Amino acid sequence: MIACISIAGFELRAAMYSRPRLALEPAALAPVEGTEPRLGPVTAAAEAAGVQPGMRLGEALAMCPSLTLVDQDPAAAEQEWEAIVRRLEDAGFAVEPAALGCAYFETGGVERLYKGLEGALRRALEAVGPTWDARVGAADRRFAALTAASVARPGQILVVSDEQTPAFLAPHPLTLLPLEPDRRTELNELGVRTVGGLAALPDASVAERLGGDGRRAHGLARGGSRRRVRGRRQPAEIVETLEFPEAVGNELTLRRAFGALLEQLLARPERAGRFIRKVAIAATLAGGGSWRRTVTLRDATAEQDRLKAALGSKLAELPSPVLELRLELVELTASRGQQLELVEAQGATVQSHLSEGLRQVRASAGSGSVCTVLEVAPWSRIPESRALLVPRDE
Amino acid sequence: MTSEVFPQSRVAGRLSEPRPALVEPAFDGSPRVVNRHAVALVREEWHVVDRWWTEEPVRRRYFEVVLESGQNTIVFRDEERGSWFIQRGA
Repeated sequence: MIACISIAGFELRAAMYSRPRLALEPAALAPVEGTEPRLGPVTAAAEAAGVQPGMRLGEALAMCPSLTLVDQDPAAAEQEWEAIVRRLEDAGFAVEPAALGCAYFETGGVERLYKGLEGALRRALEAVGPTWDARVGAADRRFAALTAASVARPGQILVVSDEQTPAFLAPHPLTLLPLEPDRRTELNELGVRTVGGLAALPDASVAERLGGDGRRAHGLARGGSRRRVRGRRQPAEIVETLEFPEAVGNELTLRRAFGALLEQLLARPERAGRFIRKVAIAATLAGGGSWRRTVTLRDATAEQDRLKAALGSKLAELPSPVLELRLELVELTASRGQQLELVEAQGATVQSHLSEGLRQVRASAGSGSVCTVLEVAPWSRIPESRALLVPRDE
Repeated sequence: MTSEVFPQSRVAGRLSEPRPALVEPAFDGSPRVVNRHAVALVREEWHVVDRWWTEEPVRRRYFEVVLESGQNTIVFRDEERGSWFIQRGA
C-alpha cells in the first residue's frame, strides 16, 4: 500500500521548535516580506480565537490582538524535515518527500519486518517522533492516502482499502483538491461542493468546462493514480559554513564570502571529483530567522564560474543582514564522468607545489594556520572591517 | 540507511584586529612610550569617527610613531573606551 505521512503546519512548528511554549499561545507564521500579507499556518489557540491560515494580517490582528507572529525559518524547517526523512529511511522506508511536512512511502517491503501494515505505520509514526503530531494515511492510491492523512487526528493511522476509496473521498470538501479558488467558486455555483460531486460529473464535461486543472482534480476525485512511490536518492550533503564577526548586509561582501565558501566546498575531498547536481545556499539573519534557496542545475557541473552564476544572483534576494552564510552540496552525480587531460593545464605544476607547501604548513602548525584573506569592505575607515581571515583546511 | 553528511564550520576572524597596548601619553595626548619602548618620533596623527549612528560608535585618535628601536608602529586611543590599542595595516 501507499502510505502518506503528514504534519500539519510543519513550517510553523519548525520555526517554533526552539520556543515550544508558543505552541500553546495564539501564534501564526508571519508572511514573507515582499509578498501578499497573508498568514501561514496558525496554532490551535489562534484558531480558537478566530484566526485562520491564509487570513490577511490586518484582519487577523484585529480579531486577535495578542497574536504572536513567528518569523519564517526555512533553513530550520529544511533541517528538521531532512532529519525526519532520514529517521524514516533508517527505519527501512523508501521515502518520497512531496513537500515540507508531507511524504509518501510504500509499506509492501517492510510489512513482514514490522508484523503487518499497522505495525509498519506505527513504526513510521515512532520514527517521526511524538513532538510533531504526525498523522498517517494508507491506501492503494496516493490521493486517497494523502486525504486519509489529512483528515486523521494527530498520532492516528487511517487505512482506506481500494473498495472503500470512492465512498471515503466523496463527502470531503473541494478544498482538498489542487484547484484554483476561481474554479472552486465556479463549481460551488454549479452546486458541486464535495469531492464525490465532482467525481460524479462526466469526464468530457469537466474537461470542457474547467480545462486541464479541472481534469486533474477530477482524476484525483476518482481516486487518483496508482503510481508507485519512488524513494529519493541518497543526499550527499557537503556543507561549508562561514560565521561573520558582525552582521554583513553588503551584497559585494556577501558575494566575496560566497566565492570563498564555494572554492572551499569544491576543494573538499569528500566530493571525490563528483559533479554537483543540486546546491543550496542558506543564511542566518541578523534579526532572527533564516533564509534558504536551493538550485538544481540543468547540467551537473563542478565549474566555479557556472556555480557562481547560478547561485550568486540569489544573494540579492536576502531580506536582511547576515550573521552566517552556509553553502550545501545537496546532490552529487554518481560518477565523475570527467575526461582525462592530454596536456596538463597551464599553472598546474605551480598549483600542486603551492598546495603541497600549504599542506606542510598545516601539518606543522596545525588546523587553522592557513587562511584566505577575504576583502569585504576595502573602503571602510575602520581597518579591521576591511578584510576577514577565513581558515582553509582542505 | 544513512546518508553522508560532511559539515564544516569556519569562523572568520578579522585581519588587522587591534590588540591592547601599554601606552604612556605625553601632556598633549600623543604617545610617549609604547609597550615599554620610548617613542622617537610621531610621524602622523589622524582621527577616525564612524558608526556614530549605531550603538557601537567608533571614535579613535591614531598615531603613526617610530620607536627608538627604529620600528614603525601605529597606535590609537579609543576615545569611547578610553584605552590604547596597537594595530597593524591601519
